[in-house]
Amino acid sequence: MPSLASSVPAPAMSGGSTRFQRSKTESNIVTIDVGGQMFQTTKQTLALAGPDSLLSELAGSDPSQLAHRFIDRDPELFSVLLSLLRTGNLPSKAKSFDLRDLISESEFYGVESFLVNSLSNPSQFDAFNLEKSRILELNGRDLPSTIAAAPSGSLHVVHGSKITSFDWSLRKKSTILTQFPAIDSLLEISPRIVAAGATDFPGLQILELQKGAVRASLNWENATKSASTVQAIGSSGDHLFTSFESSRRNSNCIMVYDQQSLRPVTEIAHFEIYGAEIESAVPATKLRWVPGVNLLMASGSHRGPLGMTGNIRLWDVRSGSAVWEVKERADCFSDVTFSDRLSAIFKVGVDSGEVSYMDLRSLGTESSWVCLGEGKRSASGKKEGLGCRIEGHGSQVFCSRGGDIELWSEVAVMGSSSDRSENGLQGRVFRKNLVGRAKDMGGAKITSLAFGNKMFVTRKDLQFVEVWESTVSR
Amino acid sequence: MENGDPNNAPSPAHGRIKLNVGGKLFETTVSTLQSGGPDSLLFALSNRAVADPNPVFIDRDPDIFSVLLSLLRTSRLPSTASSRYSKQELADEALYYGVESCLRSAMSPPPLAGIDASVVSTIRPASDGFPSSFTAAGDGSLWIAHGGQISCYDWSLAHTATIRTHFEEVTSICRVWPEIAAVGSEAAPGLHFYDISGGRHVGSTHWTDPSDPRIYKARVMAIADSADSVFASFECPHKENSIFEIDKSTLQTVSEFGRQPGSSAKNMVAGKLTWLPESNAVVGSAVSCGAFGYSGYIRLWDPRSSEVVWETNEPGSGRSSRFGDSFADMDADIEGSKLFKICSKSGDLGMADLRKLGDDPWVYLTDKNYSMRNTSGSGSSVIRCHRGQVFVGREGNLEVWSRVEEGENGVEGENDAMYRRNYVDKLEDAERGTIRMIEGGGDRLFVGREQVEGIEVWESSNFAAAIPIS
Repeated sequence: MPSLASSVPAPAMSGGSTRFQRSKTESNIVTIDVGGQMFQTTKQTLALAGPDSLLSELAGSDPSQLAHRFIDRDPELFSVLLSLLRTGNLPSKAKSFDLRDLISESEFYGVESFLVNSLSNPSQFDAFNLEKSRILELNGRDLPSTIAAAPSGSLHVVHGSKITSFDWSLRKKSTILTQFPAIDSLLEISPRIVAAGATDFPGLQILELQKGAVRASLNWENATKSASTVQAIGSSGDHLFTSFESSRRNSNCIMVYDQQSLRPVTEIAHFEIYGAEIESAVPATKLRWVPGVNLLMASGSHRGPLGMTGNIRLWDVRSGSAVWEVKERADCFSDVTFSDRLSAIFKVGVDSGEVSYMDLRSLGTESSWVCLGEGKRSASGKKEGLGCRIEGHGSQVFCSRGGDIELWSEVAVMGSSSDRSENGLQGRVFRKNLVGRAKDMGGAKITSLAFGNKMFVTRKDLQFVEVWESTVSR
Repeated sequence: MENGDPNNAPSPAHGRIKLNVGGKLFETTVSTLQSGGPDSLLFALSNRAVADPNPVFIDRDPDIFSVLLSLLRTSRLPSTASSRYSKQELADEALYYGVESCLRSAMSPPPLAGIDASVVSTIRPASDGFPSSFTAAGDGSLWIAHGGQISCYDWSLAHTATIRTHFEEVTSICRVWPEIAAVGSEAAPGLHFYDISGGRHVGSTHWTDPSDPRIYKARVMAIADSADSVFASFECPHKENSIFEIDKSTLQTVSEFGRQPGSSAKNMVAGKLTWLPESNAVVGSAVSCGAFGYSGYIRLWDPRSSEVVWETNEPGSGRSSRFGDSFADMDADIEGSKLFKICSKSGDLGMADLRKLGDDPWVYLTDKNYSMRNTSGSGSSVIRCHRGQVFVGREGNLEVWSRVEEGENGVEGENDAMYRRNYVDKLEDAERGTIRMIEGGGDRLFVGREQVEGIEVWESSNFAAAIPIS
């Protein structure tokens, strides 16, 4: 713009020097001509973009060319990205642009991480402010069976034998076809690589999302030399955990792989069934790394003639031994999770449908479940908790019940124990809310929940993924 | 001074150029302007203006120019462009500046993947909108024959022309030159050539045989073309039939082959012809559906020797492992050198390698997709190979067989387990009507349904079809 261009010489005075050109004090200011429009900023601002970006290259380039920095790109998009670089936030005028243009432009300048940070920051997740914001449609007819979300905000959805991946902005997608007839467990290793496994197709496959190529196929060499299927996948960041079961279903184990090299590190939790003792070797169907205590939580359940039985174990990966174990007989869990911030394991009972917790800080010999509900439901004899999902995220625990999502949070109650008992509060206090507005309540039964910096929900017989976002963002 | 990266240009002032478009100033580099190709207006401007300090004035709309400048800089179209300007506006303006090829590559859909495609639009001709036949070209353009008219849609699927032919109904159409269509009708004799841009009849070919007076009023049932020939199957009213090779430039008959009496299913007229450039052969197929099920043949002719290279007759091709399950439709995958057929009874897909044709070359692909177990083959089936995938229309359902990528270490030769079947469409799409015709053109798939106006356009997209909830 000509009006801006006329103001170019003005900052040359800011150094307090009468010399207009190439004084040492003013060299901190950088003038860039983007597509015919002048921008002025400081070297420090440009250097924020990181050493590999085009912008920091500009800041460090030869001082003799200071006056002539020219970038042949769109000036309006650049002005938005410059504001982002200066403040860390997107200016409100960015709303007049399509996010896809901003993303591709930020890739050109090498400042995409700023855009990701301002729009898709895990800290923006606010459990009490979740609203249903959009629906991600899937092509074809297969219903979403498994979803995996990453903290950056990207989402991978399995439908049939296909994996559709959405990037952090949920604007771009790609679909690959896998060798699996169906996929039951999925985990993102890096934005372009996922680990996938199925309960009825052998092997854990490490898939590249670009072309769908199989980078590696991992298998457990069990004693019977039969192929083994994958029951669950987990990750600690360094290690990849896979719960294998032999296809004859008489032995299982958890394999630990190095997440970078994909080489096997160790094998833990190896169980074999001898005779009719089926419950001696229930494979783990959920693996979660508990970073606070550096242990792996593995849970598995089995439905027998006497009802559901199951176990939850905490494994020390290095020693390969179970540090703690609880056997579930009465009111076995339908789903289990833990919350690192709350230092507790949560379960939803299959008979009662009640949410209970066990404090991780006082795990010991006689630790037992503390029921968070009224404890009334267990009498009915119906499987109230069947199909309920429970997931911990941040300081909250989300539990799906039918078409609704319960949000359990801890209330920090101050005061002495006598005060607390006066208020009717004993031990830790957890309270629940239902997530969403009245119009979003109910609906079809929820089949899976996943958390990145947003909440993703799939429902029975519905061929899309719901995205719930916190309203504070943007 | 041409330099790919403007920032590393040795002397930054050099190669920069200022433009004044409709009163708005733009600054860019010569290399950006030249990326539109040497024939463009912008290229011409960039040549003269480097020494000139004054901006070049162009008397056009500045806003739409900024979109095209972004396109030249980034080789992608800004996402807001499609909502602010119509395709036609962008195409016209790109034509003015001579950067149409850039716009074309930016606006064309991403590689077609049947596992992730959706209907983006339905093309409906204004009158008599029930398509009787259509043909698609590699750039994604489409010619639809409907009610004796031919409507043409260009690469952006914008309507370019509609011409009227002398036929009451065109039942086969083939694009033999960029502007010439070969058309035939099951109701009127002869193969006719029409110039689309001029709307004129430019030539015709008839089957004549001075030695046989019964040969007259032969109708065209199928048309195919190779680089320099057109192949058309003719059928006389008394069912005698033959295939003609017609030279593309002279429009004269070069040779005749495959003449047969047409008295039974094994020597009916070919209803589908395809030229196989790799094997230099024409593959023709005929299917009839009677009280005892489907019967027909697939035959490969070498047009130079006029001889049958390979054939299979169903039912009755003795060694077929699937007796009583004759094919309902077939198509050739030219890039993959394969023949595919769809079985009429079981609904299975059979695959034959064109390089290894024998007595029974068919490999039947197994289906491991749980959600598709119960689809039987009864009812009408249409099959079409495109972009290495096999698209099958069963009644109203559209499905795709696509190859699963193997790892680098997983190359074990080609086995049938590498194909997987998936639905392309949704349940509600299938309710629109029975699929009659499928054609692939570029990265688009065109689907025509029985008794439904218009042609559906299926494309893949890299962008999520996100529906915001406000």
